[in-house]
Amino acid sequence: MLTEEENEALCRVGPGTSMGEVLRRYWTPAFQLGDLPEPDCPPIRVTILGENFVAFRDTEGKLGFLDELCCHRGASLTLGRVEGCGIRCLYHGWKYAVDGTIMETPNLATSTFRERVKHGAYPVHEAGGLGWVYLGPPGTEPAFPNFSWANAPAGEFSVSEIIMDCNWMQAQEGSIDSSHVGILHLDTLATMGSGPRSVGSFDFAGEPWDLDMQVPGGVRRMPGDAPRPGVWPSEDNAPRIELETTPFGFHYAAIRDADEPGKKFVRITAFVLPYTAIIGGSNGGVIVVPRDDYSCSTIGVFRLPPGTDRAVAEERARRGIDPAVWGPEPENRRLKLPKQDREAMAAGKSFAGFRGGNRVQDGAVQMSSGKMYDRAKEHLVPADLAIIRMRRLFADSIRLIEAGHDPVGIGVDYDSTQVTAVSTIIDADQDWRDLVPGHQGTREPAS
Amino acid sequence: MSVVVDNACTQIWDALHGGASVKSLRVSPAVYDVVAAARSGEVARNYPLMLLGLPLVADDDVAIYDPVVN
Repeated sequence: MLTEEENEALCRVGPGTSMGEVLRRYWTPAFQLGDLPEPDCPPIRVTILGENFVAFRDTEGKLGFLDELCCHRGASLTLGRVEGCGIRCLYHGWKYAVDGTIMETPNLATSTFRERVKHGAYPVHEAGGLGWVYLGPPGTEPAFPNFSWANAPAGEFSVSEIIMDCNWMQAQEGSIDSSHVGILHLDTLATMGSGPRSVGSFDFAGEPWDLDMQVPGGVRRMPGDAPRPGVWPSEDNAPRIELETTPFGFHYAAIRDADEPGKKFVRITAFVLPYTAIIGGSNGGVIVVPRDDYSCSTIGVFRLPPGTDRAVAEERARRGIDPAVWGPEPENRRLKLPKQDREAMAAGKSFAGFRGGNRVQDGAVQMSSGKMYDRAKEHLVPADLAIIRMRRLFADSIRLIEAGHDPVGIGVDYDSTQVTAVSTIIDADQDWRDLVPGHQGTREPAS
Repeated sequence: MSVVVDNACTQIWDALHGGASVKSLRVSPAVYDVVAAARSGEVARNYPLMLLGLPLVADDDVAIYDPVVN
């Protein structure tokens, strides 16, 4: 639980807030590169950390990320013309370069102003299909976190973004919460043909219900097929949680009794402060970014096997998702919850009753807590250790920033390419940390 | 509270890994009061104050950031 004051400090992200100041010290994924596909294409409005910006790709292909409103009289640059290596405000024609240089001021003949003042502009880094920006004090950019997918060829990863109408912590806490997987996502596991078939006294009746739903890896068990126990080889819904703090945040393991005697099923997640959970078994990660205090983007970035047909991958990413609920198009990324299928739930064919797979199920419960959940009312249990540790690291970071230091994970030397996650079966007496040796190697030497 | 809860939760898992059972959580009176204030509704209904699934016990000998699992 958190006090009301702690909850406010954790959740609010605008300029001048405690967490807002912390988050501005990390590279922040702000937009999809696919939304700015070519030089001089239309600009886009981006809302992150409670502020509005305009992103554009200039004539030479360089990305610009500027304060949204023209510094003359405040018209939105998202209405502007992208041309001649800059973006021009429609109102009085002021034109800006990607670095904020004021190139032209047609209604001001003298050059004194534009020579002395720049428009707000922020560094941009292209990686993994995303435009990452740094909103912290100039000159304090940390090293860029080169995750394993960050430099993969464009055809070897997929990016999808869902905008949710709730505070970002509700989504972020879900991304590092392994103990809900065998419960909320019971329908998904059933469609995959593995994992538990019950939650408490609820038992599945018959075959899976939503055969079109998205499942990790795209593998599914069709009616009549034999069970596929290797996919989620455990019926244990009360995992033991072990966690180790690392320079980048922490990694933790949810350890379940495996179906096979003498073995255990470990699912390791790496949490890289402040946005990214690299999830074992998913071949990628989930990035949660606050848009403002009451909405966030959850971005899935997943590595595809080399040679994957791009069109096939995109089609697979849309499978089972009703466009009335969500779609990859920029105007349709806000999640609109589908109607819950109470008949299927009552008949024992579905546990959660939401078609569309894990992300729709996650969105349903996370948004159901309201725009900003009051954590004074919660009753945490030991299985929530990763969530508890994340909050502590953020609280530590707030204190560090207030004392004039870098937040946790900044200014430490670690190789981000070696941050991995694993989901597998190992011998019962084996240490799961052996499976993520890169994490061990990046640990700071004991002082 | 984030530090107190993290320290308590880590202790609980350490105890469980060691095969011990856990029955209660002793905290400083200041922490107890913070929880009571946040859970005023439960206090009004005469429910016991609990944290991490364990009953809370106020103990003058426990430091603020060092809860003790029993």
